[in-house]
Parts: sequence; structure tokens; C-alpha cells
Amino acid sequence: MKAAAFAYTRPAALADALRAAGRDARFVAGSQSLGPMLNLRLAEPPALVDVRRLPELRGARVEGGRLHLGAAVTHAEIEDGAVPDTTHGMLPAVARGIAYRAVRNRGTLGGSLAHADPAADWVNAMTVLGARCHIAGPDGRRVLPVHEFLQGTYRTALGPGELLVEVELPAFSERMRWGYYKVAAKVGEFASAIGAAVHDPALAMTHLLVGAIEARPLLLPPFAGALELAGDAAIEAFGARIAAALPQADAVFVHQHATALARAVARLRAEGAA
Amino acid sequence: MSTQQIELVVNGETVRAAVEPRMHLGDFVRRQLGLTGTHLSCEHGVCGACTVLIDGVPQRSCITYAVACDGSSITTVEGYGDDPVMAAVRRAFHEHHALQCGYCTPGMLCTARDIVLRLPGPDARRVRHELAGNLCRCTGYVGIVEAIESVLAQKARGELAMPAPVAAAAPAVAGPAAATWEPIEIPADGDWIEVRQTVALPLAPDAAFARLKDLRLVANCLPGAEIARHEGERAEGVMNIRFGPITAAFAMRAELALDDVARTGRMRAEGVDRRSATRVKTLLDYAVGDGGAGRSDVALTLRFRLAGPLAQFSRAGLVNDYVAEMTRIFGANLGSAASGQAPAGPAQAPSILALLWARLRRLFG
Amino acid sequence: MSENRTGIGARVLRKEDERLLNGRGRFIDDLAFPRLLEAAFWRSPVAHGRIARLDVPADLAGSVFAWRDMAGVRPITARSTLPGYQVSDYAALADGVVRFVGEPVAVAVAPTRAEAEDRVARLAPSIDELPPLADVRSALASRTPLHPGWKDNLFIELKRDDDFAALEGRVAHVVRREFRMNRQSMSPMEGKAVLALWDDQRNQLVVYSSTQVPHMIRSGLAECLGLPLAQLRVIAPDVGGGFGYKCNLMPEEVAIAWLALKLKRPVRWVEDRREHLVAGTNCREHQYRMAAHVDARGRLLGLEAEVWVDSGAYSVWPFTACLETGQIIGNLPGPYKMECYRCTVQGVATNKPPFSPYRGVARPGVAFAMEMMMDAIARTVGRDPTAVRFENLVTAADMPYTNIARKAFDTGDYPSSLTRVMEMLDHAGFAQRQAEARKEGRYLGIGFATYTEQAAHGTSVFASWGLPIVPGYDGATVKLTADGTLEVKVGVHSHGQGMETSLAQIASELTTLPLEAINVIHGDTGETPFSTGTYASRSIVMAGGAVSKACEVLMGRARTLAAALGKCDAAALRLEGGAFRGAGVTVSLKDIGEAWFHRPERLPAAVPDGGLEVTEHYKPAVDTGVFSFASHGAVVEVDIDTGNVRLVDYVIAEDCGTLVNPMIVDGQTIGGAVQGIGTALFEEMPYDAAAQPLASTYADYLLPGASEMPHIRIAHSETPSPHTRHGIKGVGEGGAIAPPAAILNAVNRALAEFGVEFNETPLTPRRLLAAVLAARRARAAAPLKEAA
Repeated sequence: MKAAAFAYTRPAALADALRAAGRDARFVAGSQSLGPMLNLRLAEPPALVDVRRLPELRGARVEGGRLHLGAAVTHAEIEDGAVPDTTHGMLPAVARGIAYRAVRNRGTLGGSLAHADPAADWVNAMTVLGARCHIAGPDGRRVLPVHEFLQGTYRTALGPGELLVEVELPAFSERMRWGYYKVAAKVGEFASAIGAAVHDPALAMTHLLVGAIEARPLLLPPFAGALELAGDAAIEAFGARIAAALPQADAVFVHQHATALARAVARLRAEGAA
Repeated sequence: MSTQQIELVVNGETVRAAVEPRMHLGDFVRRQLGLTGTHLSCEHGVCGACTVLIDGVPQRSCITYAVACDGSSITTVEGYGDDPVMAAVRRAFHEHHALQCGYCTPGMLCTARDIVLRLPGPDARRVRHELAGNLCRCTGYVGIVEAIESVLAQKARGELAMPAPVAAAAPAVAGPAAATWEPIEIPADGDWIEVRQTVALPLAPDAAFARLKDLRLVANCLPGAEIARHEGERAEGVMNIRFGPITAAFAMRAELALDDVARTGRMRAEGVDRRSATRVKTLLDYAVGDGGAGRSDVALTLRFRLAGPLAQFSRAGLVNDYVAEMTRIFGANLGSAASGQAPAGPAQAPSILALLWARLRRLFG
Repeated sequence: MSENRTGIGARVLRKEDERLLNGRGRFIDDLAFPRLLEAAFWRSPVAHGRIARLDVPADLAGSVFAWRDMAGVRPITARSTLPGYQVSDYAALADGVVRFVGEPVAVAVAPTRAEAEDRVARLAPSIDELPPLADVRSALASRTPLHPGWKDNLFIELKRDDDFAALEGRVAHVVRREFRMNRQSMSPMEGKAVLALWDDQRNQLVVYSSTQVPHMIRSGLAECLGLPLAQLRVIAPDVGGGFGYKCNLMPEEVAIAWLALKLKRPVRWVEDRREHLVAGTNCREHQYRMAAHVDARGRLLGLEAEVWVDSGAYSVWPFTACLETGQIIGNLPGPYKMECYRCTVQGVATNKPPFSPYRGVARPGVAFAMEMMMDAIARTVGRDPTAVRFENLVTAADMPYTNIARKAFDTGDYPSSLTRVMEMLDHAGFAQRQAEARKEGRYLGIGFATYTEQAAHGTSVFASWGLPIVPGYDGATVKLTADGTLEVKVGVHSHGQGMETSLAQIASELTTLPLEAINVIHGDTGETPFSTGTYASRSIVMAGGAVSKACEVLMGRARTLAAALGKCDAAALRLEGGAFRGAGVTVSLKDIGEAWFHRPERLPAAVPDGGLEVTEHYKPAVDTGVFSFASHGAVVEVDIDTGNVRLVDYVIAEDCGTLVNPMIVDGQTIGGAVQGIGTALFEEMPYDAAAQPLASTYADYLLPGASEMPHIRIAHSETPSPHTRHGIKGVGEGGAIAPPAAILNAVNRALAEFGVEFNETPLTPRRLLAAVLAARRARAAAPLKEAA
């Protein structure tokens, strides 16, 4: 399984990278999502522009309580706490569950979001966190909520020559709580169902996410008592709403997703009680 | 077939080569360098057979392209030299029958060594979790897990020489601007390790207290401390610890609160060791008392606690000893610095061997 | 048992490890030859079709080939003497018709594999699709046989039909069930690989092949290429796993060998993972319909079964599509007694990759069916499943016992293995643990499976299956050298079993030489005596027996020479520590070697001239095989909301006769068990209605990983076989046989209250949840029924 031929450049600065990206060039960072597709010849881009080491994509800072992560920060760096965490441990916990350590050592936050696999962890975690995507392109910079950035399976709002450079999180308070749960048969494989919940009363934020639905993640409209639901009652209540939102889904699909969300909410509650 | 020039270090040797961009690192080392120890089994990043070290950490050579490794350092299974952890892992694999056909073995060894470096001690469940990215069709994993556990046990007993930590090209974490300094919270409850010392200073109490307001001076007396940034009562830096074969570098933040009337000071500090993800919180309290005749007695109380891998030692007594020794040196250094002299001993962390020797000497009088 | 610390029974560490731990293994893709060309195949994207056009761009004329270019090459044709067997011709590159997705149609060569794939990508053969036979049912219903000259889509049908009249009046229940094992891939970490080149000096084609059976590959290639055997040498270097996948002559092997002859350059092909998953998925797919006639206590009186094997599009060579069916009909009764047996097995041709025997060969399927049936019988008669097994197992007192399928069990206490695993899992206390867990909302279950494994079965058995090559004697050559070391050459080949160590141990046992002084050479037809190779858990018995026999003869000759050199009576000498000692003399094997080769003047004139190189041929006293046995036990916890099954505890009590190297036996058992767990819970190649495989990467085809596997505890007993040297029995396959049944029985027990019964592998979360949700919905809809 050898890739088809492609050209490769590694610009030293962001401005050069944006200039280098023509219509057919793809940006590549860790190549952990793109590599398999190249080797399988499912993707045959004529040229790759390597942004993995661009200094503009490698920073991390907290400004006004808002965490800004460069798009080329790796999953392992988040897992290990090499970058700040304003989410009370959610970011490292999610990072730890991505694929395998060797993949985490090179795969990047931005690469994963730009690849937009529906079952990818950052796709789901950044959505439930209400993150914003900072994009640089030939016409300058723009910012999009992640839920608009992600448009579907392997589809994002990135236009030709545009590059995701940074992900920004809201200024969570010390009352922020979270839960994240994946249903999978094997560690490291893409989940069959993801459930996630984030609650921060200071931001009036209650997000309930249903992910790995072979489309971009679904945020359920919050409802009274959602965060207090437990056990079978939780699965039933969430299941009813998921079935209503996804009428094509079968009983197993609905149940697994409802379970994932119920367990995420349970974790959120447990963290609050600690 | 257009090629590009790359230059990288492979197993310690600089290599210059012309490669097609589409050639992945695995094919590069195998075909162009003749290093056939790295094996290809799935070429889509799942099975782990191709795992090698890139810039010191395990990565997949099948979904990483050689051109992207220009400027990087690669270590394949042939290139560990006499790395003590790899030697221990190989020995353990041999003794625990952790290989049969040998095809998954090079990648398995790379991951196994990394697990030993990152985990503090045996933990079968965690080890199995960390092995998820290395498939084996022959052994059924029991021998592999037992081999890794046995090396982790050696490490926990302090019997394993560890390699120097890898200096990764870490992200540039911008320090918080003064406006966004997060106060350091040290919870009052929970388990603390506490050490007390009294230091005699040849200065009157007011003069001694004034000297001790200098945060940089105080920090410099701490063995292993380096201040990177300092603004008023706040500082950031690194606390280097050498605990036998284990090294850690805690990225620290500290703040000093003073009571001029009572002549007391409290330094709260917290930090994290990136390599092991261990977190530390410390409280260092000092009170300057009148020692009479133009002298002061400084009462030091150091409280600290660790959370994470480096905390999980079964040799708690040894750790406490270490900290007590460190505090003693601190006190001595403080005495020298406060009276204007250079610190008595090197501002260096004491070694575990010195501690053991000291302990043994005490036992035998 | 041996006092020799490196002999039979010693837990010695492996000689192979040194090179493998340091990246110095030598696998096919590691070899380098000047002017080597790498090959890639254009493979059919459709399951069934006629090749309408296959145009080769002009600039690729010398580097792309199809069957029409391979003049004089015969297709792989696996014949069998079994009545009714229908023969299929399997051309190295498709001969006008493609019959499974992934079938090779054209081959391209280039200096690198990447360029070879570029060349393949430029081909665009047009294929007129024909209706695909995507499963057994549609193949049986179809009026269009898959192969010319066939009357239907059966490779073979085997029947056994006892009269059940004798059971009249004694049958309390007829327990009926259907079982299914889905199709799998064997997935060794190294795929198939072959490199061929012409050796001008020896005037022969040298074929390096990642194979388990070098001597048989040599015969098969000779037949297809029309080359005399003398002009073919097959060398198997280090092989990265096989498990049966590398037991057959593969079409790519023939194509690469032919290319080397045609182009007069070395040519190599290495199967990549997608090729393996798409074109090499070829095992385990069985369906069963069974009826057990039992008395009120669950004693099995008669067994009826209809079984279907989805045999794929062609018959493999040399094991044929008959092997799996033959092993089914012969092994379904397992270790149990019964009076009547009726069984029909059909090997059905479909548009899938050719079926190949995989670790356990039909035993995992029949053990699954039989062991699930035992639990079903237990539920019917209201007894514990272990009690029903004890009711029916052949016991030690019965030995030797010829069962209803004419399997001649030699020795063994089968029930003891079940007792042992019950103890290891604290079966007695399980009900309480299960009840306590249930109060916490957790679902625990316990399950068992017991089996016997026929190993090293020989001539008459394989001949009864009518195979083109039938194993007979295995040969071993042992040679004492001038410096007192021993060369051991055998025709079997390791793919992880560590035979360089275990065979050296047998030689050490007989010669008392240390392992460092013994060098085992295998895998090269140019250097080793004939053996059909490594499969059927036969190598340690067959090659081990031959090595033992040859060493015995060699030591006899050495003793004579020792007596001559020591001027004493041969009978007064004992062999110890590499030397003959006694009567005041010590004559080492080194002394003997040196005298024979370098200093013959030390020997008296009248000395036997047999020399110090001995080749002996061996087979066990009986042809019908020797029988290892084991029981497996599993405790599972089922998450009824995610569908995940967690293996809480997994134990094995096994007996493979005399253990040569207990460490290697453990490794084989655990490795096999984990493959069995893969079968039980993870591995499946689904096909759609057009016979398209749907899991072409490891993202979809799930192999067991360390994170999901339990720690496995093993207890051993050693009941030697009376039929083999040293009482050794085979063990390579056994671990893979029992897990599917043990695990599914445990899950059924855990979920008994829902009234669900799982009878299909793998038991994926989706299958589990679908059944549980349906049961819970039904119960919610009819709550009043429960009160009754």
C-alpha cells in the first residue's frame, strides 16, 4: 500500500504556507489521519504543505481565562499537561483516549479537526466545549464556532488555501464540570458512540453532545433536569430525544448513544460532588 | 520520480539522502538505509509493528513521510546501543517469552521501553491499555505484559538506570500576563509531608527578615531551583530533582506573601513535571525569631505533596529523607546567602546515594 | 522426564530470540538482490465476472502480464479421491473469469513497489459482471454452477447416516439448535511473501517463500511450472506467523516464480494488509443445524447435524476444500460418547476467497457447536452444564477409546480438565457471586468448553480425505561435526513455535550436548529431508520423533567409536555431559568427531563405516493421531447498555502429553486462546449481497489487542501418548478451539434472565444489544406473563 506521488514543501512561516497552498495542495501536520488515506490511495493530493512546525501554530496561552491552543499542538502534549488546561482536566482526559500513544505523539489538534472524522475525539470534545476555530487564509483571518467549522463527514468550512491555526476555548469558571464517554469495543478504535456534557453556570452553558453519528456531532437542546438523570431513566430520556433527532437510527444505535450521554452526565455529576 | 534532499540523524549517524516525498519513513530506513529491523504490517497506523523513535518518542514510521523527518532524529530497533532501559526490556522479553515469530517485536520493544519510561511502577491494567497500539498475533500478550511489568518493578525498586530525559520541542507556552496570574491555591486539608528545620543567621531579626524578602535569593538557596521570570512577589521557573536514577523537571510558579509585623513569610508554589505529569504543591513557611546577641533563628516549615507517577513510590521514608536533606541544605544556603556569603554547598539536589550512606552510617553509629 | 537441564521438559529460553530482539530477523521483505523487481497485482473489484478486455499500455508491455502470457503454466488444481468431489482449476492470474473480489488478474513489476502500484493503477480491465453467489444459501439455490463442468455448487458432500431406531423409546428430549461462525481472516502480522530468482550456478529456480510447508510448495510449483524438482529449491526464512494461511500454494506464488523465469531477474511480492483482508479472508465460516437426542439426565444418545462450509471460489492446494468438511464430520462428536451419529457436511462454492484451514481446522467450529449444544441440553433438562458434560465425556477408564467417528483416543482424563477449570474459577461459589453482582446491576456469567485435539494424524487419515499430498514419514538428518557440535536438519518450519529451540532440546536429551552446541536448520528444501511441513500440530511429534530417532542411531554409532577409542566395552559406557564415560575412560563426542573426520589413524581398522551423519524417518506407531485435550473456562461481565463483554477471568487446563518446553507450550496455548477470543468477540469479515468484503482495514477488522485480553491462567497435566517417542502430543492449535464456546456459554448464562441465547460468532456489541433490547422490549410489553 504505497501512496501515489506528491510534491512536498515545508515553509518556515505561516505567510509562506498560505502562499504555497494552491488549489490542489493540502496542508499536513502530523499526517496521522492523512497518512493512512495516502497509503491506501484513497486520497491522492498532488502536493502537501507541511505546517507541523510552524511557530504560529505551536503556541498555547491563556488570555482573559480563554485558552488558545495552536493547531499543531499534539494530542500527547495535551495529554501530558505540556500546555495549560482550563477545562478542569477534560482536555488531558480526552487526549489520553485518542488512538494510541505513538499516534498521539505526532497527531495534532488542528489536523484532527480539519480531517473532521465524525468519531474523532477533538471533533466531539471541541464541539461540546463550545470552542472557536481561528482560520488564516489568503483573504486574512476569520473565526468560526467549531460547530460551524465542522460541516459533515470529512467536510469543514475551510476554503481553498485556508488553514486552521488556532482553537480557542471559552473562559470557563471554577464551577465548570464535564463528562466524556466513548462506547467502543477496543481501546483506540473509532467509537461507535460518544456522549459528552459540559456545564458552566457562570457562562450559562449546558451542552449535551451526541457524537460519532456518521455526521457532525449533535448538540441536544438542554432540558430541565437533564443533568440530574441517572441509570435507566437517563438512557430512556436521552434515547427518546436522540431517536427524535435521528429518525433513521435503529434501536441499537439509539441505545448506545443514549448510554454514552447518560454516562457522560453521570461523570459530570460525580466530578461536581467530589 | 522527483526526489528531495533530506538530512536527518538515524541511530546516531547523520544521513543525507534523496527521497521521493511519498516514501514513508519505514520504507526509507528499510530500503535506503538497509535497516530492515523495522517491520511493516498494516501501513495504516493501527498495528504498531513499524513503531520507531522520532525525536525521542515512539511514532509510526508507516504514516510518517521521510521528507517530514528532515531535521529529525530517528532511532530504530538497531540503534539503541547500550540504552539501559532497552537492554532491560530485551532481557525481560527473552525471559518471559514475549515473542514468537518476532515480526511485531521491534515495534513492541519501542512501545514497551516508552511505557517503562512513563509509568512509575507495575500496573497490569495500565500497561495493557498502553499496549493497545501494538498488535501481536502469536503470543496472546501475557508474556509481553509480564515482561514490561517486571522491568517496571525493577524501576520502582530503583534498580534501573534511566536515560537522560528527552528535550522535546515543546510548544511555546506563553506565561500569563500579570493581569491573568491565577492565584496559587493550596488546600488546607489532605495529606502533607512536613519537614521542619531551624536555621541560625548571624543577622538581627529585622535585617534577616529584609534579606529574606528577596524572592530570588530565597529561591536560589533551594537545591535544583532555577528562576526564569520574576516580578515582585511572583516567580516562575524550574525545579530540577534528581532522585537516584529518576530525574524530574518541575515547571513551577511561586508567590511569596509576607507579614512585616510578625516577620513571617509564606511561599506557595505549584508545578508539574512534564515528563511524568506529576504535580507538586508546596508551602514553605518561615518565621524569623530573635536569637539574641544580634542573631536570628529562622523556623522553617516545608509542606509538600505530590500527585501522579512520581508520588507513587513505596519508599516513602526515603522520599521524606530526601526532602529533609534538601531542607537542611536550603537552611545552610540561606544562612550563607543571608549573611552575604556564597551558599555553603552547591545548590544542587542531594543524591540518593549520599542519603543511603548517611542512613547506613547512622545505623552503625 | 529428564535430569538434563536443556532436554525434554526443560523451560529453556529460546535460541531464536537473540536475532529477533535486535532487529536481525530475516523475513522475505528484508532480502536484497541486485536488479530485484517488486510486483503488485491488479485484483478484481467484483466478485464474479467475465474479463472482457485487458489492455496493457504500450510502454508497460514488458512489465505487465496476464494469464494469456503465461504459456505452459498449469493452473493450481487440487484433486481429491473422495467420491463426488468436483475439481476447480485455480489459475495464477484469472483465466477469463474472476470469482472473488481480490482475485489476481494481472501483475506489474517495477524497481519499487510504489512504482509497481502506479503501473497497476494505469490498467483498467473491463469486467462484465455475473450474478454473485454471496453466501451458501444463494449458491445452493443457484442453477448456475461456479465452475465449468460442475453439476452444482458443491465441492464435496460427506455423509454419515446411522440408523436411529435403536434409540426408540429412550429419548426424553430432542434439543434443536442452529449455530454460525462468520468468515474471518487469519491475519499473521507478516502477510504472505515470495521472492524468486534463477540460480545459474545450481541451475535451479530458488523461491524464497514465507511458508509453513517448503517441501510441498516445491512440489506444487514444479507441477504448475512444468519444472523438474531438481530445478526447484524453496527456502523459507524467518516467517512472521502463519496459522495455516501459509500452508497452501498461492496463485501469487506461481505468478512470481514464473516472472523470475521469464524476466531472468529476481522478483518479489509482499502481500499488504489490504490485500490480505480483501483477498485472503478465508476461514471459519460454518453453519450448523443440529439435533441432540438425549435422555432425561441429558445423556447424549444420538446426534444429528447438517453442516455447511462456505468454501469460497476455488479449492486450495494441497489441502483441498475437503479437509475442512472431513474434519467437521470426523470431529463433531468431540470427546463425548453417543450411540448414533448422523451428519451431512457440504462444502459449498461461493464467490469468496478460497477457504483455507486455520488454526484448529474445523475444531473451533465443531467445538463451538457441540459445546453450545451441551449447555442447551443442560438448560432443557434443568441441570448444570458441567454436570451434563460429566455425564457424556469419555473418561480415563475408557481409554483407549474409539469414538463414534472412529477417532482412536489414546490416553487422557478428559473430565479432569473440566474439574480443574471449575476449581480455578471457583465454580462452586459462582452462583452467589453472580447474585451479588446482579444486585449491583452487573451481569456476570460463567461458561466452559472441553475438547480433544487430534494431532499428528498421518497417512491413512489424510488419504481418507483423498488429498493430493499425504503425509507419511518425516525425516531428520543429524550430523556430529569435527568439533563435537551437532547439526540437525528437518523439513518442518517454524513460524513462531520456536523449533530451533524445542528440537534442539530433544537432540540435547538424546546426545547430552548443550543447546549452544546444537544447530537446527529448517525451511530449506536444498538442505533438509522431506516433510510435508508444519500444520495439524504435528511438528513436535513428527520432526521431534525423527530427531529423537536419528540421534538415537547416531549415538549408537558414536558409542561404538567411543569404545574403540577408549579400548573398552561399549556396554560399560554411559553418555553424560556430552561424553561417554565409564571403565576408567572418558571419550567426548568432540573426541569422536575429531577422530572420525581429522584423525582416523586413532581408530582401529575394524570400525563400522556408517559415518557420523544419520538420516532417519519416523512416524508414530498409529496413523490415527494422538489426542491432546483441554477445558477452558471463562467468567464474563456483560454491559447490557454498551454491548461490551469483559473477560473477567479466563482459565485453561490442558494436556498435550509430555511437554518438551513448558514455556513454549504456554505460549502456544495462550496465543491460540487469544485467537479464539478474537473469533468469539471481535473478528468478522462481513460481505454484502454482491459478495463485496466490507472490512478492508484494521479500523473495521478488529484484532484482539492487549487492552481487551484477559490474563490467562493455565494448568497442565501430562498424560503421555503410548504411540509417540517420549509420549509427546501436539499443541500448536488447541488454544484456538475452545474460547468461542466458553465465552458465549458464559454470556448466555449472564443474560439468562432475558431469555436470549447467542449462537453466532463474533458476538459483537451490536448483536448483543439488538437481542437484549428486543427481549427487554418484549418483556416490557408483556409484564403479566412473568407473574405466571
